[in-house]
Amino acid sequence: MLADDITQEVRRRGAVDTIRQGMVEAPALGRGLGLTFVLALLGAAGRVTIPIAIQQAIDKGFVAGTVRLDFIVRLCCVCAVIVLIAAWCQRTAVYRLGTAAEEGLYGLRVRLFDHIHRLSLADQNEERRGALVARVTSDIETLTMFFAWGGLAWMLDLSLMFVVACVMIAYDWLLAVVAFAVVAPLIIVLRLVQRRLVRAYDRVREGNATMLSAVSETVAGVETLQAYDAVEPALDRMRATTKSRAKASIRAGFIGALLFPSGEVFSVFTVVAVVGIGVWRGEAAGLTAGSLVGFMFLTYRFLEPIAEFTEVIDQTQTAVAGLRRVLSILDTPIGPPPATNPVPLPAGRLGVALHDVTFAYAPRDDEPAANVLSSLTLTIPPGQHVALVGESGAGKTTIARLVARLADPTKGRITIGAVNLKHVANDDLRKRLTVVPQEPFLFADTIAYNLRFAKPGATDDELHESVRLLELEDWIAGLPDGLDTEVGQRGQSLAAGERQMVALLRASLVNPDVLILDEATSSVDALTEVRLARALRKLSAGRTTISIAHRLSTAARADRVIVLADGKVVEDGSHEVLMNNAGEYKRMYDAWLAATKA
Amino acid sequence: MVAMVSFHTGYFLTAVTGAAVFAIATVLSSYGVKRLIDDVILPSFEVGNVGFSTWASVSSLVVVIGLVRAVGVVVRRSYAGRANSSTAKTIADITLSHLMRQPPSWHRARMTGDIAARAGVDTDAAATILGPMPFASSVVVLLTVSGVWLIVTDLWLGLFAFLVFPVMLATNILYQRRVDYHYQVAQDELGALSEAAHESFDGVLVVKAFGAEERETERLAVISRRLRKARTNAITLRSTFESVIDAAPSLVNFAIIAFGAMRVRDGAMSVGELSAFVFLFTLVSLPLRIVSYLFSELPHSASGWARVKQVIDEPLQRSPRDLIRRCEHSMVELAHVSAAHVEGQLALRDVSLTVPRGRTVAIVGATGSGKTTLLHLIAGLIAPRSGSLGLGTRRVGLVFQEAFLFAESLRYNLTLGADVSEARIASALRIAAADGFVSELGVSLDTELGERGVSLSGGQRQRLALARALAVGSELLLLDDTTSALDPATEAAVLNNLRSLGAEITTLVVASRPSTIALADEVVFLVDGAVAAAGSHEELLRTNADYRELISAFEHDRQMPETVGGQ
Repeated sequence: MLADDITQEVRRRGAVDTIRQGMVEAPALGRGLGLTFVLALLGAAGRVTIPIAIQQAIDKGFVAGTVRLDFIVRLCCVCAVIVLIAAWCQRTAVYRLGTAAEEGLYGLRVRLFDHIHRLSLADQNEERRGALVARVTSDIETLTMFFAWGGLAWMLDLSLMFVVACVMIAYDWLLAVVAFAVVAPLIIVLRLVQRRLVRAYDRVREGNATMLSAVSETVAGVETLQAYDAVEPALDRMRATTKSRAKASIRAGFIGALLFPSGEVFSVFTVVAVVGIGVWRGEAAGLTAGSLVGFMFLTYRFLEPIAEFTEVIDQTQTAVAGLRRVLSILDTPIGPPPATNPVPLPAGRLGVALHDVTFAYAPRDDEPAANVLSSLTLTIPPGQHVALVGESGAGKTTIARLVARLADPTKGRITIGAVNLKHVANDDLRKRLTVVPQEPFLFADTIAYNLRFAKPGATDDELHESVRLLELEDWIAGLPDGLDTEVGQRGQSLAAGERQMVALLRASLVNPDVLILDEATSSVDALTEVRLARALRKLSAGRTTISIAHRLSTAARADRVIVLADGKVVEDGSHEVLMNNAGEYKRMYDAWLAATKA
Repeated sequence: MVAMVSFHTGYFLTAVTGAAVFAIATVLSSYGVKRLIDDVILPSFEVGNVGFSTWASVSSLVVVIGLVRAVGVVVRRSYAGRANSSTAKTIADITLSHLMRQPPSWHRARMTGDIAARAGVDTDAAATILGPMPFASSVVVLLTVSGVWLIVTDLWLGLFAFLVFPVMLATNILYQRRVDYHYQVAQDELGALSEAAHESFDGVLVVKAFGAEERETERLAVISRRLRKARTNAITLRSTFESVIDAAPSLVNFAIIAFGAMRVRDGAMSVGELSAFVFLFTLVSLPLRIVSYLFSELPHSASGWARVKQVIDEPLQRSPRDLIRRCEHSMVELAHVSAAHVEGQLALRDVSLTVPRGRTVAIVGATGSGKTTLLHLIAGLIAPRSGSLGLGTRRVGLVFQEAFLFAESLRYNLTLGADVSEARIASALRIAAADGFVSELGVSLDTELGERGVSLSGGQRQRLALARALAVGSELLLLDDTTSALDPATEAAVLNNLRSLGAEITTLVVASRPSTIALADEVVFLVDGAVAAAGSHEELLRTNADYRELISAFEHDRQMPETVGGQ
């Protein structure tokens, strides 16, 4: 599984590497970070004014039983001004960090969109789609949350601790050393418990995911469960998941609760030690009563951020993991590389040729790479209508994808109008070649929006002209709002056959020279069937057409039938010729008749 | 909201007690600071040496208060978490067991995603309020006790400080409201982005086919820019507010120092008391922020609880299965039954039908003729509007068009937790022609199937769903186009296996493949929700022109079977 490859890849990258790489991919994150930190330090200076004010007041304001009120008032005014300036610095630092983060994450998101849109179809399968959406939403969100809370806390708290430590050393370096020595064990305790905390939070996340998916599965399966009287056992299983999740979060909560006041506990011990030693050394060491009181206040401030750290550790880990997953997407190479020196396609009708083409999907963990196509050579002259038939896995869809350059062959080359596909500019190719997929995808908007998707800026007249061309006027006229009818999510408001019609109209707007049709398998009502067949005939008239045929009637109508088995052409000729050959095609046709005739 | 507390009152009250201990110890810790300054520091510098015993006794007081405060915090936080997690679990269990007992008609009237959200994220949101609540209660205690303490220490200074608290609290709450608006906008934009990204990635083939990669990236970038704008607005507001709220206590403290200096001069208080005052004010102004978080959490939690309440307060609807009569002589007996999905639009009209035990009946009709409705009616998923329905058994196995597999072991998927012997499971797999691929894939009964069984093909999933119906001992099998995903040979094998069980199994099968229809003992031909004809396939082909036309349309319209030529 590809998803597993990526998880392994993710684990290989260390935290520091991840952050460094993240800075490279989102340069706005690091822009002006130095100035931001300087401002944060200045802002933190505002928070040490109180201990300093107290020290000054005690030492110089309350001298020998008298109170120098004018000094104290002046002191307080000066400090107030400092606090205001510091507040402005802090505001600017917070603002700068926040906007830089938003700017950087916006850039990262857009890079991801672009990259994902350019990933090869092989990396875009159904199973991975949800994961891709998660990368651009919830994973980037973990980073947003980090910069809004955790990252901010790291910046402000580290600045505060740094400034406080500096002031402590300035007051009395020996007392500062004592204070740091008493605090040292806390660092060890934090490191030890932090690992447990991170693991506990991991378990909470797992429990949460298990529970939520169990809930949605149980609810989705309610009819099955009720039909078989299996609601009670299913509920028991559910209760087991809610219970284990509750247990995990109670445990994480308990470890967090133990850690939370650790800073406060250590500050109490530090304070009594500092006061004891300060008093013992006394005036002889140059200490004053004020500086000791100020020092005491500083000690409390110094350890204040510890509580916050214990809360942001988990967020930080989550953010690094999110960033890792985001980077792993950007590391996935993009699909067919764009042509470096594009050769323009010749005017006029285009033929298609495959020369000795081999294709294998990228090997995965447990399965070796198996060839889907092996040394296949095929020439389709301009204007010919070719039907590809064969059982599933024979390589029909792969041929269509390679010709549409949704992937490149592993070996060999494909030409269109005698130009190697690899040398055709993407824009050029998309104007000359169009694919109508088996299950056409529509965007949740109007029919007109979906048509213009093929040709941005197409006028209303052009849209109506296409409708006329495919003789679908009566169908459009029958819709509530004509071309402005909303199609609903993924086109669900329309019937399967109607979605097909939109897809055909969309293709006709491009007016391509080469058309690739993956025939729909869903059954539609008789009237729609007639309309579709007519529209299809009109659309493919005069164009080089490659149909992946699921109905033998379609094959019978084509100029030429190519029968594929195990990535090789086993038969090639018109329907009539192949029926006379009594080969694979004849066998399939007979089997089909036997199955559908009673 | 009060109900939330009542689920685990013990945990909650313990947390509140811890919070109260924390609050009182916080106030006392400023008393400790006062003693340190007045009894140890100032005397030592003014009078000379202070005895070791004085330092030791004041220090142990400070340490004990600090430890008591820490214990308060641990109890408060851990029990608040316990109350929160346990309540979330209890509510989720209640919600789930209630909604899983609502009949299918109730579920069908709602979106699966919405129901799952109510039992999942909504119960979570509802309980989150229990986390900060004990802390908020401690702030009330803290403000009261410290207010009294401050006023007792010094009346005027105390009154001044006391007036500042409500102003700060109000500012906090006001700010929270404004910033929440921006966060809400951001949340909405994020939802829009997620939806658009989903759509854009889902439509990858179309995007690539029309070379629209850059256009699509730009479309998503536009939404991302709106998201960035909302977030930047919030940050602007936040950076200003937080700086103000950080600076405000300091500014008030300078006023306290200046004002307090006058009181010290007048001999109304000591320097230690003034310092303790400053210390306490700083300690108390910190938690005010948290209270404003509580206020911002409230609406989130309340709306979660309201959504949960909506589900659990709704009385259980009567299951359509309770309306089904027990009938003795035949397996299925419908008398003049009408049914409708939408008011006024009958999907079945006046259907009368009797199926004897052990028969295989094919239900044939064009799209929208009521075939699936008929099966759902018999399975008790919907109730008849009129007429009566009787069944000869309660063991009805409905196999849906879309097989629903759980992301669980194969065994669970076959038994759904019921006690079924290995032999019976093996025979069910054999009858459903699933034994072959199960052993080929190397799947044992304990192998987990992927998310909703995605690792299996449609036909394989269908056969497992059929095997499940057999393993749990169904006597009446309702197959809704179940076997159409199989190749004709396998389909014929399965239907023949079922017929070979004789009177043990009665089968009603919705079918569109002529070869399948021909295998049935009897065909019921539905046109616009009414029985147009019934009889053997040959008989209907002979006598009914519409039937003939439909069958020939089926013959023409069939897609080429995927596995033809494969075996």
